[in-house]
Amino acid sequence: MRMRLVWTAGLVACSGLSGSVLANGWNMPVGVTDVSREIHSLHMTIFWICVVIGVVVFGAMFYSLFRYRRSRGAKAANFHEHTTVEVIWTLIPILILVAMAIPATATLKTMYDTSEADLDVMVTGQQWRWRYDYLGEDVAFTSNLATARSQVSGESAKQENYLLEVDEPLVLPVDRKVRLLMTSDDVIHSWWVPDLAVKQDAVPGFVNENWVRINEPGIYRGQCAELCGRDHAFMPVVVKAVEPERFDAWLAERKEAAAQEAMGVDREWELDELMERGEQVYGTICASCHQPDGSGSPPAFPALAGNQAILDDPDYHIDTVVNGVSGSAMPAFRSTLNPVELAAVITYERNAWGNETGEAIQPAEIAELLDEQ
Amino acid sequence: MWRVIKSVLAAFFGVQKESRRHEDFSRGRASHFIIAGILMGGVLVLLIALVASLAAR
Repeated sequence: MRMRLVWTAGLVACSGLSGSVLANGWNMPVGVTDVSREIHSLHMTIFWICVVIGVVVFGAMFYSLFRYRRSRGAKAANFHEHTTVEVIWTLIPILILVAMAIPATATLKTMYDTSEADLDVMVTGQQWRWRYDYLGEDVAFTSNLATARSQVSGESAKQENYLLEVDEPLVLPVDRKVRLLMTSDDVIHSWWVPDLAVKQDAVPGFVNENWVRINEPGIYRGQCAELCGRDHAFMPVVVKAVEPERFDAWLAERKEAAAQEAMGVDREWELDELMERGEQVYGTICASCHQPDGSGSPPAFPALAGNQAILDDPDYHIDTVVNGVSGSAMPAFRSTLNPVELAAVITYERNAWGNETGEAIQPAEIAELLDEQ
Repeated sequence: MWRVIKSVLAAFFGVQKESRRHEDFSRGRASHFIIAGILMGGVLVLLIALVASLAAR
């Protein structure tokens, strides 16, 4: 009677504990795709198999230790080997492993089947942001951290989506198969969104494939999961899943905007226009190293305010931003920014924080340079 | 020959009778077991490759 009470109490404690662990978000999420649900149910099945094995094995062990202790006069058996028992304890794990491997392999096969996708998106990791190209649609943009630096330094309160918010999320349609082609421009990154059950390395020089078919509209957040340098924690992933009709409308809008931007390259820009645009670009791209006030963090990140080397030589300034400086922390921005953004940010750097060259670098000039190289 | 094959299979499985082990060590030649082990290792690899290619169809 007392024994049964102890067992019941133990079971209640165990199930209560596991319940609270699952409820507190310590477990992996169920997610919003069929694959993520399959992975979650596999995870739970295998978890409970492990629990049962653990209870049986340790239960038998503790029971034997307790029941056959020396103080109660137990005598140790003395035999060398027992082939039948050995065969049984080899066969049982084999059967359990095969039983787990069959559904796991079936899920893996589904996960790797990237054929017949409705939409291809190229995901490119860059230090430290993600770039998304909707292949064949002429729509591409970079997705930068939107959390204010003042929250990082503790000067202002941290908001709910601290370090998990971006200026432009990856917009994807629900109920369509989207193929994700992952690569990197610099070092190895990893694109990880738990709710989509995707964690895929983005390796320079390789294209890894993955796919998602999202079932529910919503916003799903993730992070870079491969240590990629100083701002590894500052390149989150945000996926915004919308209804297919809304996605089509959004894509058409983005195409239109891209066409407008392409036209903007040819016209003459005013200094004020470029300054306004440049300040925006500087804030998302440059400020994390060169600081919002252009003071930099020498010696790794030189100051731009009052930097005579760039102010005296516009060509050197342009080349530095477009092509980067090899062997230093300065990356090339030719594939990250378009000619308008490049011209705007260079103009901004030449006319902000007391830099007063009065020069407006025209997008057309940059576009010509990019064509030549 | 058959005895060597059975012993190598037992080694793959990981369980062997003590009496057979004694017999192998007193009567068998090491080179026979080594050659049989390498050949059967190759057969195992081919079998797994066959099963995998059938499953992937």
